[in-house]
Amino acid sequence: MNAPSATVTLTIDGKDVTVPKGTTIWEAAQGNGIDVPVLCHKPPLNPVGVCRVCVVDVGARVFAASCVREAENGMKVTTSHERLERNRKTLVEMLLADHPAPCEKHKQTHTCELEKLGERYGILQPLAAGAPVPEPRFWSPTFMSRGVAPDDAHFAEDQSPRRLQKGTDFSNPSIAIDHRACILCDRCVRACTEVKHNNVIGRMGKGYSASISFDVNLPMGGSSCVNCGECMISCPTGAITSRQEAGVQLETGDKLTVDEMLQIPIFQGISSEFLKRNEGSVVRRKFKKGDVICREGEFGSTAFYLLKGTADVFLTTPMAHVKSDKKQSAGFFSKFKHLLAGKKEDPREEGERKFIPIDAPVDLSLDNPIAKLNEGDLFGEMTCLTFQPRSATVRAAEDCEMLEMLRSVLQVLQKNKKFRDQLDANYRERALGQHLRSVPIFSAIDDPKFIDQLKARVELLHYDPGQPIIREGEEGDAFYLIRVGCVKVSKSLPGGEMVLSYLSRGEYFGEMALLDRSPRMASVIALDHVEVVRIRKTDFDFMLGWFEDLRPKLEAEAKKRKEMTERMTRMAPSTSLDDFLAQGLMHAQSLLLLDLERCVRCDECVRACSDAHDGVTRLVREGLRFDKYLVATSCRSCLDPLCMVGCPVGSIRRKESLEVIIEDWCIGCGLCAQQCPYGNINMHEFESNKADPSQPGVKKATVDRKATLCDLCTDLKEPSCVYACPHDAAHRVNAREFFTDLTIKQG
Amino acid sequence: MLCRQLYEVQEKYGYVPEKEMRELARRNGIPVYEVFGVATFYPGYRTSPPPKASINVCRDFPCHLRGAPKLRQKIEDLVRESGVPGIELGGVSCLGQCDGSPAVQINDASYARKSEDEILKLVQEAIAGKKIAEQHFGPMAKGPFKTNPYPEGEKYGALKALAKSKDFEGVIAQLKAANLKGMGGAGFPTGVKWEGVRKCQNDEKYVVCNADEAEVATFKDREIMKSLPHLVVEGMAIAALVTGATQGYIYIRHEYHDQIHSMDEEIKRAREAGILGKDCCGSGQKYDMEVFVSPGGYVQGEESALLEAIEGKRGQPRVKPPFPVFVGLWGKPTVINNVETLAYVPAILVKGVDWFKGQGKNGSEGLKWIGVSGHVKNPGVFEVPMGTTYREAIYDLAGGILGDKKLKGFAPSGPSGGFLPASMVDLSMDWKKMADAGSMLGSGAIVAIAEGTDLVELALNATQFYRNESCGKCVPCRVGSQKLVDLLHRMAKKEGKREDFETIQRLSDTMLMTSICGLGQVVSAPIDSVLKHFKGEVDAKIK
Repeated sequence: MNAPSATVTLTIDGKDVTVPKGTTIWEAAQGNGIDVPVLCHKPPLNPVGVCRVCVVDVGARVFAASCVREAENGMKVTTSHERLERNRKTLVEMLLADHPAPCEKHKQTHTCELEKLGERYGILQPLAAGAPVPEPRFWSPTFMSRGVAPDDAHFAEDQSPRRLQKGTDFSNPSIAIDHRACILCDRCVRACTEVKHNNVIGRMGKGYSASISFDVNLPMGGSSCVNCGECMISCPTGAITSRQEAGVQLETGDKLTVDEMLQIPIFQGISSEFLKRNEGSVVRRKFKKGDVICREGEFGSTAFYLLKGTADVFLTTPMAHVKSDKKQSAGFFSKFKHLLAGKKEDPREEGERKFIPIDAPVDLSLDNPIAKLNEGDLFGEMTCLTFQPRSATVRAAEDCEMLEMLRSVLQVLQKNKKFRDQLDANYRERALGQHLRSVPIFSAIDDPKFIDQLKARVELLHYDPGQPIIREGEEGDAFYLIRVGCVKVSKSLPGGEMVLSYLSRGEYFGEMALLDRSPRMASVIALDHVEVVRIRKTDFDFMLGWFEDLRPKLEAEAKKRKEMTERMTRMAPSTSLDDFLAQGLMHAQSLLLLDLERCVRCDECVRACSDAHDGVTRLVREGLRFDKYLVATSCRSCLDPLCMVGCPVGSIRRKESLEVIIEDWCIGCGLCAQQCPYGNINMHEFESNKADPSQPGVKKATVDRKATLCDLCTDLKEPSCVYACPHDAAHRVNAREFFTDLTIKQG
Repeated sequence: MLCRQLYEVQEKYGYVPEKEMRELARRNGIPVYEVFGVATFYPGYRTSPPPKASINVCRDFPCHLRGAPKLRQKIEDLVRESGVPGIELGGVSCLGQCDGSPAVQINDASYARKSEDEILKLVQEAIAGKKIAEQHFGPMAKGPFKTNPYPEGEKYGALKALAKSKDFEGVIAQLKAANLKGMGGAGFPTGVKWEGVRKCQNDEKYVVCNADEAEVATFKDREIMKSLPHLVVEGMAIAALVTGATQGYIYIRHEYHDQIHSMDEEIKRAREAGILGKDCCGSGQKYDMEVFVSPGGYVQGEESALLEAIEGKRGQPRVKPPFPVFVGLWGKPTVINNVETLAYVPAILVKGVDWFKGQGKNGSEGLKWIGVSGHVKNPGVFEVPMGTTYREAIYDLAGGILGDKKLKGFAPSGPSGGFLPASMVDLSMDWKKMADAGSMLGSGAIVAIAEGTDLVELALNATQFYRNESCGKCVPCRVGSQKLVDLLHRMAKKEGKREDFETIQRLSDTMLMTSICGLGQVVSAPIDSVLKHFKGEVDAKIK
């Protein structure tokens, strides 16, 4: 007997061919200069044999897909005859019937593999060089195309394929998806999982309505995709292409080549294909000592990574001008304030905040708002990702070298494990302790030994917009501290979702379920790019054991939060009143109403408000009308305070008493004013003399802006305006009760 | 077993929430896209919360012939008039209740053999949110059956004898001599299959029984599992001893609640009696088995797709070779046989090869279980001698055509064998004779079609079934089945074009020659047969 041979010999198109055992017919043909067209196979991917274009005749009942069929001894293979070519042409034609031609890839580079086969089989006309590119159309000489006539009577009974329904997906900043051009060859699926081990792309659904999808059919940009670009390289058609518009170039700074980028440690491990596409989206910039790198309140779209040197980060906007209760004011009204002081409630009942959260790895101390940024620090993340205004001014403390980058690059970096690990390590080393202490309730945690233990044990997690962090009703297993971004805390009620709060950097959640071992009372969802510090239950208990006075403090705090939730739940409207709803008043807890039948337009209210607030009125006597009442444009303390979303320095917040207040460190960016749906936040300008960041030691006169809103004069028994009205026309009322009564009365 | 885990999750929530998919991915160490891909592949899973009630009427041709479209319209009217929101209405692929047409699925349970009024009453209850009692189907076929070699109260005799004699080669020889073939429709020689697995050097082997019976008009295995479950268990155990397999799965379509129950019970009894377990029937070999409930879909009846489902993957057929005999479940050598095939094994061993062969007539050998449905007076399942003519099946067993109308044609094997004209009704059930006639014996799913039936419409209906059930893996079947439906749709509306004939021929050839599995290869069988035998009817549809 012969020993099993390591090679096999077969005939392909009459030619004797000897190949190693395990070679596929397609490989054997290719290696011998015989071209067999194929769409779903592209070495080095493992073949799957799904497009069937590579079928050959091996003398069996049916044709065999040469890309998967192993060559066997004595096999007689024919790669081309009339019937084979006719079948190939039919396959190509069927695919073309549901493919927009020219697709994006064919438009850009004339390389759509399907359309090229279409040209080869005479189904499509080749695109003429230099001629204008025709509009894409779905077309086939014989088959009905489903891309064109969704309401064609022929298709009434059958739904369109999911690929056509899905259309395009531009959620990823650098890769565009056009499901309509997809031929389900599964090349991207294999590229993502077999080549890159990223495990994001799969097939969903079945039959004619199958399609590719990301994770659980998420938009690509919201999936766990790391932008490696492998799927795009593997795609034979225009289903996955590079987004041309992603190639926005930064104007200043030295453009980095791919090789230069790859030499910077944080870029190692990122696909060079991706970097090549993003040349110009990241630049190296050098700053001299004293140069200002960015200014608070400015709009921007880039993040900075400090390569060399150190920088100062600080706020130039003066404190105050928002919360006036601390200030002395000379108005007539304020002189009698003490007579009215009724509520004992300290307006800052939650404890003084000692730190201002900013868009950098450090927080700023309220007393001395300046900090240092070091090599390896990243700042401006939120500006880059969500285009929120710069939260602070950064100035080179010595000669510095920075990388400035656009969103596409930052997103990929954030998903690069090496970079992530480095940032996380920096955070654990330098910032965790201070960050924890910046939360008033943890201000006493200053034991370096404890921080040392904790820093190795906490988890640093990131969430994409819309992703839930904790869910109502689940068992509590961890405590969370927000590092970056903004989250929404909400509860589901029979009438729908009720927002309890928005929390951002420096705030925490999840303690209640840990303290009393109850299920989660509310859900917490990431609103933008969110990073949290997750402290597991065991570590949380350990912390409570280490700092004995922490538990009572937390319990007191949790009790307040719980009461607040209960209060809000009660307040949620149970009756629906058409007008009330339409005007957004159901969100309001508290309204300033002017009874127009009584009001004589004397403006005393406006003057009183101005007196009580440093000469700037927060009350504008206009607004929408409801019955005989004018709802003045003053803060309604909405149950869902949209104004709080995205404040770059966390200066707008809600007190326990549910009033919205703006803290003194407002940088005047105006985001909250833009977001208030009722126009109740005003930006008021004031002049100040302040240090010029670009000329140390020199002061200059500037006009600054701050956001202001009605603070309900909570330190007084009654709002100043209401007290001042000589005609009893101004009322501060609980919106829901008032209007319910009104409606009942009107009956 | 991801499919089973998904069922467990669905049991708990009524559907499979995203959170649980992520959890299953984590637990099984697989990407979440895989879990999602599986959950969205099978009709047995929901990925969004269930509707208040779900009512689906069978859309396939045996029910279509007996008034399903009219019933569906009435149900739709009822739901619309009720004004109750959140009721899911639709069609469902053949439920295997063709002898009780039209069949309806309400909240995942099948109802058949009911009058229109009874069905509409159930629908009303479902709309009102009432819990509807499940309909149980007792044995429908009348015994005694020749397939069962045992007198009342006795069973597992062949297995016991084999456990003692250990004459495994002898079993293979007997099966070969008896010419036992795959009764699921493919007709592959069983002895050869078992021999292949037996010869594989591997510690791990499997026996799988294909009880997925989801081809339109096929419902014979339903009765075998209901009346003779012990023969299926015994056949599998014998296959296990012969091939050296230690574990078996009986893969049952999820709509067969009663059969899942009867097989489960029989397995339990067999295990208690020492027939299954560490020492299978005293043979010294380990063999145990369990029921695997299919997550749904006709294509799962394709043997490699079925294996994919057990493995927890999207149930797409594998590219062959390699065949499951060598690379089967979890990559191990595997015997896969149809219910009926396995059920014949004890009788062949107990009563002998000659007895089995002698059961046939008209020059054919052996037995055949058939289901007769469509326009007949007494539809049902019958055990018949191989070689029985279709005339005997339709007129003698099933009582003739409804309303004593003339027979226009018949389908000898659901949609896969195409439609034959009444002139061919004297053909007899025989592998070779049927193949020579350009059709197939298949699974014995006989559907009688009375005069006055529009065959182009019927071909469209059958093609829609394949389109609905295509897994979508390969281009010819995924796209071709839809394009064929589009063409036939146009034709059924009398708007066909002369050149459509050429296009259909091209499509048909491409699907036959290039599809990965049998499903794609037979998509055009119904229209091909209509073009061959009823050309005049098609010509009338051309504009």
